[in-house]
Amino acid sequence: MTFADLGTAALRAALPLAIWGCAAAAYAAARRDGRGLASARWSALLVFVLIGLAVVAMEGALITHDFSVLYVARNNALDTPVFFTVISLWAALEGSILLWTVILAGATAYVAWRGTGELPRLGTTALAVLLGMVTFFLFLVTTPAADPFVRIDPPADGNGPNPLLQNHPLMALHPPLLYLGYVLFSVPFAYAIASLVLGEGGDRWLVATRRFALVSWALLGVGIVAGSWWSYAVLGWGGYWAWDPVENAAIMPWLVATAYLHSVMVEEKRRLLRTWNLSLVIATFALTILGTFLTRSGVVNSVHAFTQSAIGPLLLGYFVAIVVLSVGLLLWRLPRLADTGGIGAPLSREAIFLFQNVVFVAATLTVLLGTLYPLIVEALSGAQLSIGRPYFDRVEVPLALALLFLMGVGPQLPWHGASRATLERQFTAPVVAAAFGAVLAVAVGMRGPFAVLTYALAAFVAATVVQEFARGVRARRVLHDETALTALGSLLRRNGRRYGGYIVHLGIVVAAVAIATSESGTIQVEKTLAPGSDAMLRAGGYDIQLVGLRPVSEPQRELVVADLVVSGERAEARLAPALVFYPNATQAIGSPGIAARPHDDIYTILVAYDSRSYSWATIRVRVIPLVSWLWIGGLIVGIGAVVAALPQPRRRSAARAGIQTRAPAEG
Amino acid sequence: MPRWLRLAVVVAIAALVVVLILAFRREPTDVRTGTVGRPAAAFTLQQLDGSGPLTFGPTDGKVVVLNFFASWCIPCKQENPALVRAYERYRASDVVFIGILYQDSLESGQRYVRDNGVTWPTVNDDRGRVAFSYGVFGIPETFFIGADGIIAGRHTGPIDETTLTNAIECLRGKSADGARCIREGGR
Amino acid sequence: MTRSRGILVVAMLVVLAAVGWSARPHEPSAEERVDRITAELRCVVCQGLSVKDSPSESARQMREIVAQRVTEGRTDEEIRDEFRASYGDWVVLAPPIASWTGLIWLVPVAALVAGIAVAWRRLGAAAAAPPAATADEVAALRRRVARAEADDE
Repeated sequence: MTFADLGTAALRAALPLAIWGCAAAAYAAARRDGRGLASARWSALLVFVLIGLAVVAMEGALITHDFSVLYVARNNALDTPVFFTVISLWAALEGSILLWTVILAGATAYVAWRGTGELPRLGTTALAVLLGMVTFFLFLVTTPAADPFVRIDPPADGNGPNPLLQNHPLMALHPPLLYLGYVLFSVPFAYAIASLVLGEGGDRWLVATRRFALVSWALLGVGIVAGSWWSYAVLGWGGYWAWDPVENAAIMPWLVATAYLHSVMVEEKRRLLRTWNLSLVIATFALTILGTFLTRSGVVNSVHAFTQSAIGPLLLGYFVAIVVLSVGLLLWRLPRLADTGGIGAPLSREAIFLFQNVVFVAATLTVLLGTLYPLIVEALSGAQLSIGRPYFDRVEVPLALALLFLMGVGPQLPWHGASRATLERQFTAPVVAAAFGAVLAVAVGMRGPFAVLTYALAAFVAATVVQEFARGVRARRVLHDETALTALGSLLRRNGRRYGGYIVHLGIVVAAVAIATSESGTIQVEKTLAPGSDAMLRAGGYDIQLVGLRPVSEPQRELVVADLVVSGERAEARLAPALVFYPNATQAIGSPGIAARPHDDIYTILVAYDSRSYSWATIRVRVIPLVSWLWIGGLIVGIGAVVAALPQPRRRSAARAGIQTRAPAEG
Repeated sequence: MPRWLRLAVVVAIAALVVVLILAFRREPTDVRTGTVGRPAAAFTLQQLDGSGPLTFGPTDGKVVVLNFFASWCIPCKQENPALVRAYERYRASDVVFIGILYQDSLESGQRYVRDNGVTWPTVNDDRGRVAFSYGVFGIPETFFIGADGIIAGRHTGPIDETTLTNAIECLRGKSADGARCIREGGR
Repeated sequence: MTRSRGILVVAMLVVLAAVGWSARPHEPSAEERVDRITAELRCVVCQGLSVKDSPSESARQMREIVAQRVTEGRTDEEIRDEFRASYGDWVVLAPPIASWTGLIWLVPVAALVAGIAVAWRRLGAAAAAPPAATADEVAALRRRVARAEADDE
């Protein structure tokens, strides 16, 4: 039995089992049947194991270069390095759908064994929803549309992975992160649907899925940053974000999920915005599917768009089914979801969260319509047009600044409303910090009002965070007689949700400063040089000299490498940007040479060269200030999310139990 | 939730789905250029064979085939035999063939022309200005210009002999409407 | 308190002044104009990159054309029109505001205005009509809020 047989058999066996489990869970939820639940639990676990087996089989087929499997023949070659062979699992459509399926099955198994214990009826209904989704994906991977194990007459050697995907080890990082983020949001969605189906207006589903939502949001966010890092290091144009449809597809659910993570607090504290929160969960989930559809069906052109396949209509059908069912359910249950009470004062935390939500949703709608606008216009009039960076930058930057502002204001305001004295106490230091930020921006030569405003708002938010930490630490030192460091530790441990959130805010601030500085301060110079000559390219205080230009042969590819020596007051570096030729690609792939330092990156690209005698090369140099801090900001966001997601000591779980006892008894 | 908002949500979702379904009929890589249906731009470029500049001006009632090519372009090599056969067929007639070398070095272009039996006039668009004025995206691209001097159509990607001869025959017809002779597209 | 209010006002004025100063109009150099124009033109061989960003040969040639037109004294609009004549509206990365396709510029504005209007109504509704809750519910809510907030500090 080959790996492919094993994989095919595992997937074929998992499909009926998932259908059975879905039916059993639905029955168990409707009839409160213990045996049904047990059956559904075991099916969920077994489905996960079987799909896991299929993933192992796919890796086995890849590593043994079994070219009788079409996927392997297309995405692997004998001389593909082992590392890229292993990660080829997500290098193309079928494999990434398989990865998606196994993550979903894993989350489902978790809910089956943990979730159904905590909240039996809600959890069991959610399990039925999740198993329904698993069924759909199993259906996908067992039809020709996305079957990863299609067999062919084996060629002598395979095509090898897509050149862009085998050019950099970062490829190992962002796709699984993004998929995890996308897929884990299925759990809050399934609970929301379950709560709608059961007609339970309570906020128990929120509590049950809070951590899932947070983790999924964080993975998506870190995945987006890792993806932009990849695109910066691989695509070779010196930027990290191009408003490409795939980037848009990833940022949209992240934006809505961010709105949700905040408005969910309003529901927890004040039992308001129930309909709104359900809508946000549904929208987030629907956008993950829509994004997958847009980028995997070939209807939009993108760096990442896989070749057109029959999967498009299936994914569209899935999207339509999800949206129609969940919006239908929501509209049906609206009367039960009406809030009792209003928000209250405009200067209260809940009001700021509400405005913040409005801005997030507006930003998302803008990205969505911008991405779809060429399709809409072509459908209406046949005209072809483009919506790109100039549009998105101009529209999203002001919205992002508004969000940065609200991010500083919100946490500083108490629930219900603030008095004038509170306002002064909370905002004097941050506003002074904003003034310093603005002056600093002008002093370091930031160009344009948006960049200066970013500095001011970043200082504003950073000051609010520092102020919060300082106050928290001081309070603990007085009350518990702790040292500053211990106090900080116990703040993070005992109230991780709040202080982890502040750390996330700090990460966003770092990223915002990095984006504003790198966008406004990049210097670009291009020059044609002769190797070995004394001619210099001058860019941003650095001298760049071309010392050599040489062809290099590697087993799986050919390169032309430009050897550069960078010298300047603050740096001495050797860089080697290259053009890479893969046997299966007609165009060369640019591989930039990057010197990454804290204050700036020197980003060099080999643009063109003399292919006959290697007598000249055109080099483009970008000096990009602070860009590394964007990745660091992403990391800080991740750390903050971990702090916020870690289980907290007893005090809080007792409080949560208290809330639950006050909620209506189940059933 | 007010009634109008509920209605708006439903309408928006329905519209989204309709757009997505319509999008299936669309080929995202198939982009039309802006020059088809407009007068063909004049140009003067050096010929590859070193015989001096070639000026392409207002066509005096001749049908013209402009083919953009390069030595590094693999599909160009694929379509070349079709071009050679079509050129042989119309050599004696008043149909004009011009090959335009695109983003390539003169030497490589000359070698390509020699090795592939290109005998029609070829010129070097060394700064890409002519490609720009015709709206060339990526080669190979072939433009058909009618007797009236209007660009009748553009074929992208490797062209085959039937498409070539059909378009030329149609354009040579007395009262031909150029737009009917060749549709824009290909690949 | 008045002293801190004074500080607040001064700090806000400093921010405004800095932003205003950075937004002062200045005559763009030829190179800045080339950058600005090429940032809005789509590279014809790339996946959505602008002529300015793309390192491709085709983008380099187009950048040269733009630079030449700028030195010839053409306006931004004339240069864009020349590109549009060759490649259609597709080549411009953002539709002009003054055309029907420019409707897309209204999306964020409309979404914000509608959203803020709806949110504002929520705030107003609360002020006008206090929640119709029983005394028990209110008391329970108060306890819950108090406990949750105590939890937070």
